[in-house]
Amino acid sequence: MRGHGFLLANYVPGTSLIHRAPLALKFLLVFGCGLASFIIVDWRMSAAVLAALSGLFLLSGTGLKKLWGAIRPLAAVLLVIGVFQWWMLGAPTAARIVLNITVCVVAASLLTATTPVQRLLDGVVKTAAPFKRFGADPERFALTIGIMLRSIPYIAGTFADVRDSARARGLERNPRALVLPVFITSVAFARQTGEALAARGLGEAEN
Amino acid sequence: MPAVTFDHVTVAVETDHSPEPKVLLDGINLQLSEKRIGVIGANGSGKSTLLRLVNGLVQPTAGRVTVDGEDTVRAVRKVRRNVGFVFTDPLSQLVMPTGREDVELSLRRIVKNGAERRRQAEAALDRLGLLHLADQSIYELSGGERQLMALAAVLAVDPQVLVLDEPSTLLDLRNRELLRATLTGLEQQVIMSTHDLELALDMDRVLVIEQGQVAFDGAPADAVAAYRALCLDGAQTRPRR
Repeated sequence: MRGHGFLLANYVPGTSLIHRAPLALKFLLVFGCGLASFIIVDWRMSAAVLAALSGLFLLSGTGLKKLWGAIRPLAAVLLVIGVFQWWMLGAPTAARIVLNITVCVVAASLLTATTPVQRLLDGVVKTAAPFKRFGADPERFALTIGIMLRSIPYIAGTFADVRDSARARGLERNPRALVLPVFITSVAFARQTGEALAARGLGEAEN
Repeated sequence: MPAVTFDHVTVAVETDHSPEPKVLLDGINLQLSEKRIGVIGANGSGKSTLLRLVNGLVQPTAGRVTVDGEDTVRAVRKVRRNVGFVFTDPLSQLVMPTGREDVELSLRRIVKNGAERRRQAEAALDRLGLLHLADQSIYELSGGERQLMALAAVLAVDPQVLVLDEPSTLLDLRNRELLRATLTGLEQQVIMSTHDLELALDMDRVLVIEQGQVAFDGAPADAVAAYRALCLDGAQTRPRR
């Protein structure tokens, strides 16, 4: 199983200013970037935000390779979106859309590359605490985020494996040979993960 | 050692192609109190079902299973705190991107303080000699390292009983020996299913499961001999195509 098609960067230990910045501030940065992608209408502004974020990424000491590693899995999709939007709406709009998506990915990667997952989960638990009065379990919120972070590379890895198998059988142009096995494997993975969590007593309500 | 007891346990499941439920385990009576117990048998014989009953992952259709007196259905949460379960494929068990994070996840329920959780996670990894791999992606680890990482995540919460479902199946010889040495040094009661007969010989007691029943229960060497005889008998009586 391959699993390196990780969309967001894994945590890189460090002591940079960004590593030490409060989690709430980093959350706000990601939220702000997501919001800005709807508001910014000028591609030059998007490019400036992306440059600033990339600068922060490099300042954190996590490295250019990690930055590229966060963008690379999306490159093909961004290219398709860019070409389609350029054809439909013109070059400036296409550039803005592609840059805004990249901004969101880089911002999220900056958060995950400079924050240990457990600290992220603690933050989610704290943020979800007010929902406790409505019967929600904040630990489950955190567990959901953790599993989501873990599942993205697994499913990406599954897709790569299935594509190789389809190629080996000369079925690489058959969408059914690609989509169905990924779907079935993902469902099986979800079941196994559920079973593993149950066996470890994780996700159960607090006594 | 805590005693795991099977009292007239039957497990049956509904199937699409038969009106009758398929019986996976049939009237099992066992008292498991030895430190190391092996479970061997052919594929589909009911080994995994037997092990899953101990952790409450499978519920008996009839009869009851208890761990240290606690019923695995009625007191399933309590049982799961005392019974750690290691699956064949560690990738389906490790739910966090790195080993350290996964071990910390195990500890979240019992250790609320982040710094203390981190310290305990490091101690748990260090016990199995995995601290240097703590921050590596689980995808970058070898099969044996992953299996040991899954074991560390389970052992971090200090269960009384450790159940392992064919833990060496995906491992090469070196990693299998690593796992074997690790299991030998554990304080916990170990109940393990395996196709690895050498590993089975390390146990104190071995059960041979055949078609949902205990076909042999006794000393490892005798159990392995009984299992070999069963397999040879099965191979000779199987019709040739």
